[in-house]
Amino acid sequence: MIRIDGNLVSPGPGGVYNERMAQGYRVWDPYRSKLSALCMLDPEIDLTADMRVLYLGAANGTTVSHVADYVECVYAIEFAPRPLRDLLAVAEKRKNIVPIAGDATRPDRYAPFVEMVDLLYQDVAQPDQAGILMKHIPFLKAGGTAILMLKTRSVDIRQTPDEVFAETIERLTDSGLRVVKSCWLEPYHHDHAAIICVVDPTGIS
Amino acid sequence: MEYWFGSIDGSGVCRPADGGAPELLARVRSLATDMREFHPLTEEVIEGCGIFSDRREYIRRLREVTILHSREVIADAAQEKDAELLQMVRMLDQMDEVINLLTERLVEWYQVTDPSFSSKSRKGAGRRILPRITKSRSPPLRGVAREIEELGEARKRLATEVSRRAGGVIPNMSELVGGLVAARIMARAGGLTSLARMPGSSVQVLGAEAALFSHIRQGSPSPKHGLIFQHRRVHNAPREVRGQVARILAGKLAIAARIDFYRGSLDPDFVADAQARIDAVAGGVQ
Repeated sequence: MIRIDGNLVSPGPGGVYNERMAQGYRVWDPYRSKLSALCMLDPEIDLTADMRVLYLGAANGTTVSHVADYVECVYAIEFAPRPLRDLLAVAEKRKNIVPIAGDATRPDRYAPFVEMVDLLYQDVAQPDQAGILMKHIPFLKAGGTAILMLKTRSVDIRQTPDEVFAETIERLTDSGLRVVKSCWLEPYHHDHAAIICVVDPTGIS
Repeated sequence: MEYWFGSIDGSGVCRPADGGAPELLARVRSLATDMREFHPLTEEVIEGCGIFSDRREYIRRLREVTILHSREVIADAAQEKDAELLQMVRMLDQMDEVINLLTERLVEWYQVTDPSFSSKSRKGAGRRILPRITKSRSPPLRGVAREIEELGEARKRLATEVSRRAGGVIPNMSELVGGLVAARIMARAGGLTSLARMPGSSVQVLGAEAALFSHIRQGSPSPKHGLIFQHRRVHNAPREVRGQVARILAGKLAIAARIDFYRGSLDPDFVADAQARIDAVAGGVQ
């Protein structure tokens, strides 16, 4: 990934959401994008030109646009019509984004459109985030990575973020994933955690 | 296995589906994919089919179909009859906020030009003294005051229009609590679709989210009413039964929302029954 003066940036045509530019590159603000925050906190995360990505919860396509700058192609799933409109506008400028109107809790509705991917990225504000991730594991290539952006406040407001975090990790492990790494996104985002997993070949699913 | 561009049988033979993007989309929609047996597409499968000359061609064709689908979803959402009402209510609430803010600021300004005037002890100072400010000696002050009055007029017209339209889009709810309150409740729920799926208990506390979350988190008393407090039956009810009235009204509103969503026409019997039930608790308070 490209860094300029400690900022994460991405190549590609700018002006997606009035992002700042630096030496012709688009600055990828970690305070706005959780994936950028994760990349700032964990320098090992890498997006490469040969990657195919399944992105759940694409929203307005701001983070998607940065991901698309780095990878081969992005399957961007978004449910709500309003942000979908913005996502389409972003996809018009980037031919490697496949925008899909779909509900991440019902992958069977859009499964015929999606191929196997190297990276499964999930950023949906839903209570059952672990369950949604598990439903999409069939799309992950052997050796691929799944990144879950856990919005603890969307999962359960009555529990503390730490409890939600621990429970989610337990659920993922029980379902046969191996959690490689996990961290809170402080100081960029509060009560948000990133969980990075791989499919455990010995695990039972 | 069925994919967007065709189907592939067990021995890897690919049968492409006919037609352009609209036909392919219709086909995908009619598919019943079972995720337990589904094998997602792999590069080998796509290449093995020989339909697409290269990777770019594959993505290009795929995007034609998914973009067409997305456009349809967006168009359908915009066509729902509550879509414009929703925007109108939001605009109305925002206008209220703006008018209040501007009036507050204007009174501050006016006080400087007229040292004998104090808004302190005057009730409802803002709106009541607006006409007085329009007669101020300072021309710019007068001008701004007139503009705010204009804005107030526009707000009034918008409110009337919201009421009128609510009668058409959500007739049963409007009949129960009046078009304006009904429209506000619908807007807060995020539209008629989501409101129709809400339990009465949620409808009861719509608009009291802050109190509700402090209740869940810190155990403060639960809110009795949110937006439905704006209805006279709730705010005129005696304190002791106010929560009860709110609960029953919310329950009836939830039913009304479902009638409005699924049937879309006024059900006079339901409304009459509901009114009687609420009046029985509220003691017929008007």
